[in-house]
Amino acid sequence: MRHKQTRKQIIEIFPRQSWFWSLIGVVSLGIVFVPIPSTFSQPVEKTLRVEASTFEFTPAVLSVNPGDLVTIELNSTDVVHGLYLDGYDIQITAQPGQTAYLKFVADARGTFRFRCSVSCGALHPFMIGKLKVGPDLLLWRGVGMAVLAALAAVWSFHSWSAIT
Amino acid sequence: MATRRIRAEWIARMLVLVLVFGLSAMALASRWINRSQGIDVHARMPEAGGWSPTILNVDVGEPLNLRLISDDVVHGFAVGQSNQPPVDILPGKVAEVSLTFDDPGTYTFFCTRWCGPNHWRMRGTIEVNGPLDIPETSDPPPYLTLGIDLDSPHEVPVDLVRRPSAKRGAALDFDISEEDYLTHDHYLSLSPYDTWLAVKGLPEGSQLSDSEIWDIVAWRWASNTTSEAISTGEELYAQNCAACHGQTGKGNGVFARLVEGDTPADSSSDFGHKIVAPTDFTDPIHMLGAAPARLHGKILRGGMGTGMPSWGQIFTEDQIWAIVDYLWTFQFLNTNKE
Amino acid sequence: MVRYNLIQIPVLRTLLTNRWPQLIIRALALAGFLLAILAGFVGTPVGNRNFAIIMVWIAWWALLIMVAVPLFGRGWCSICPIPIPGEWLQNGTILGPLKKKSGFGLKMRWPNKFRNIWLQNVAFTVLALFSIVILTQPRITGIVLLALILIAVGTSFIFERRTFCRYLCPVGGFIGLYSQVSPIEVRVRDTSVCAGHKVKTCYTGNEDGYGCPWGIFPGGMVKNTNCGTCMECLRTCPYDNIAVNLRPPGTDLLQLRGRKLDEAFKAFIMLGSAVVYSVVLIGPWGALKTAAFAVGSFAWWGYALSFLAFVYLLLPGIFYLAVRFISQNVPGKRKPLRMFTEYAYALVPLGLAAWIAFSLSFIFTNVSYLWSVLSDPFSWGWNLFGAANSSWTPYFSKYVPAVQVLVLIVGLFWSITVIQRISGERTLSEYKPWRTWPVVAYSAFVTVGLLWLLVG
Repeated sequence: MRHKQTRKQIIEIFPRQSWFWSLIGVVSLGIVFVPIPSTFSQPVEKTLRVEASTFEFTPAVLSVNPGDLVTIELNSTDVVHGLYLDGYDIQITAQPGQTAYLKFVADARGTFRFRCSVSCGALHPFMIGKLKVGPDLLLWRGVGMAVLAALAAVWSFHSWSAIT
Repeated sequence: MATRRIRAEWIARMLVLVLVFGLSAMALASRWINRSQGIDVHARMPEAGGWSPTILNVDVGEPLNLRLISDDVVHGFAVGQSNQPPVDILPGKVAEVSLTFDDPGTYTFFCTRWCGPNHWRMRGTIEVNGPLDIPETSDPPPYLTLGIDLDSPHEVPVDLVRRPSAKRGAALDFDISEEDYLTHDHYLSLSPYDTWLAVKGLPEGSQLSDSEIWDIVAWRWASNTTSEAISTGEELYAQNCAACHGQTGKGNGVFARLVEGDTPADSSSDFGHKIVAPTDFTDPIHMLGAAPARLHGKILRGGMGTGMPSWGQIFTEDQIWAIVDYLWTFQFLNTNKE
Repeated sequence: MVRYNLIQIPVLRTLLTNRWPQLIIRALALAGFLLAILAGFVGTPVGNRNFAIIMVWIAWWALLIMVAVPLFGRGWCSICPIPIPGEWLQNGTILGPLKKKSGFGLKMRWPNKFRNIWLQNVAFTVLALFSIVILTQPRITGIVLLALILIAVGTSFIFERRTFCRYLCPVGGFIGLYSQVSPIEVRVRDTSVCAGHKVKTCYTGNEDGYGCPWGIFPGGMVKNTNCGTCMECLRTCPYDNIAVNLRPPGTDLLQLRGRKLDEAFKAFIMLGSAVVYSVVLIGPWGALKTAAFAVGSFAWWGYALSFLAFVYLLLPGIFYLAVRFISQNVPGKRKPLRMFTEYAYALVPLGLAAWIAFSLSFIFTNVSYLWSVLSDPFSWGWNLFGAANSSWTPYFSKYVPAVQVLVLIVGLFWSITVIQRISGERTLSEYKPWRTWPVVAYSAFVTVGLLWLLVG
């Protein structure tokens, strides 16, 4: 019965030899850890004006270069809002008419979500923006890993087909 | 065997009943007991109803215990014409306040955190009942005694070359006789432009340039305030005025955009009536023609249909004057005495 | 295949066969459920300070999607409070059968036409369209929870067994689908014992337990999908023939029997809604959030129709085209629709990974609300555990994105290995690894999209 036969083949979980998996391991380590030098730029002072309204930040996507001395000027336009920056774990609160200033050195690279930190209504937990500090290495390494995972998964069945 | 099972079944049923309904019942019961500990005052955005209840009653000398609860965004609570610091009401947290009033009368409580374009409408009253010893008489505001029509136009034809500076004015060491210009009433009733004209008309004044005379006016204005008043005014302005008039006084606060560009019909929807753009305090043509008593009156009475709230029930006399003093800093440099 | 029967461990056997532990957990869950309904109606309208919202959409959801489903499959169903009142009324007892024919209800059979999960697909979709409102508004959450338990009680009054759980519960459908990856299964040890057992007490029930509440015969069970892991068969089998096995995860996905179009669609509904939520809730586009929230408005209709088009047409449509492409190169003329159904099961690990990754975006950010909500469930000013005034603090905000990437990559890798095995099932002699490339590319593309949405 074909059914039974298929079952037997499936038992082999990872059909390729260990050298194959070692290779995949080395390549994935490369993707994850290879240092990618970001194009060097002289750190500058950068002031970004952000408006907070229910339930969005405008602009919602900010970009700075690594090392910049960043000042986020938070202006609320309706009710009291806040801004909490993931990764840096810093926050400020602003009410309409009183700009709040968040000053920090953008020393951590990557893309960080920032979110409202003061309850401002129903969708408050989803009031989200992004701060990009240099190129988004995590995303690119992630994409690289996705491609590698796809190739490795398919390729690992080569010898499986050879057996059959 | 069967009886043991039946007994177990009954134990299980009791356990489930106690556990399942007990918790909910306990919650509701303690809620009911909790009610006696104070009056729940809910705060909602004005569009959603504002304060609830809006009228509170208490007897003189009796504590008024309030449990302040926000149902949406951050609000604040304060009683008008008092110097007590406001209490923030954070959503989903109960803020407890105990108030005791020494004098009978009607007090206004209001929201102290911007909670939308209609934030300033979020007010309620506290009726304090008690024997009224002396019928309350308060002095009429200076704009009434001086006969200033708050709604009359007061633009003046000025063209400043530079911003007047109190420091430069003081350095000029110009002697103006006390009886004419240094009395408080005089200061209240004359606009900077009136004073400028008067100084220009003096024999000593004719030897000064127009800008120098403005410096003298600035110095004159600075000598009528203190740095404490200005910092109080600055704080009050930031909390209560900047959202419309702008942090730089330019009349471009975050809510001012509700009038900009839109047709009046559209802009009225947020405020419930037609509004006009907030005053630009940096505009000399508008500001230098206004006497301090006029500014005081506008803050006290409000804009009567312009969208400018009335602050008479909210600020103390000193607080209004502190704001007036601060407003002049948008025109005059180095207003602080130091 | 490798299996380890956990019932060999005496402690586990006692815990699973004895009725008290399950009863107490169910009673606690039911008490919590009632408290959540109560909090929804009388607690604060501020979602992030309300027990109903935080308990259900943060605590319960986190445990369900990150722990219960991946590790225990339908484990949650065995303690879920929603069908419990109805089941107790149906049985007439709460701690095992006492005598035959007690209990209330008409015990009707569920119509054959609806013996599939299409109704569950619809129920989930309807909740999903309103989910932005449901998961932020305590009143609406309260109404939904109340409605679920009332419908469950009503269903068990009219129909036999756990008809609600199997054919109606909006959550049950995807728990069943994703329970296939779990490393735990309830199976019979020897099917010939069942074949020789005339009475089939596991289905009819006896004095030691009820007949399978889920209406299945354990002897014929090959997949976790419809097994509620309630352990009744463990109690009723006179031959000790029921095993609770530890097994390689994902085994059911390679099971040829029982692959159906309704479940295949469930895979797309789940994967698609994870993508839509990542766009709407985690993305920086405020207008989308407002549109999804303003139920009934023109913008909301736009959102709802886009949601439906993406989940029911675009996502499965492209997948169908990919599968059709493969079918043309497969010897022996396979029907594309049948292949579509089979290959869709390969999207189960990726779909679960997408949901875990999406949930990670808001769970660690908001779990700190739990401490204040447990201390003051209704925001009435209580302080039961002294944490009522603890402030909101996102946890691990530095590391969560990396974990999300890892979860998605594992899901993708797992899905593609399943694709390859499904591809090999029927055409083993002519198996070519790269033949599946359109479906592999599809999965990789969805993964990259999710990566961009969640961590980019």
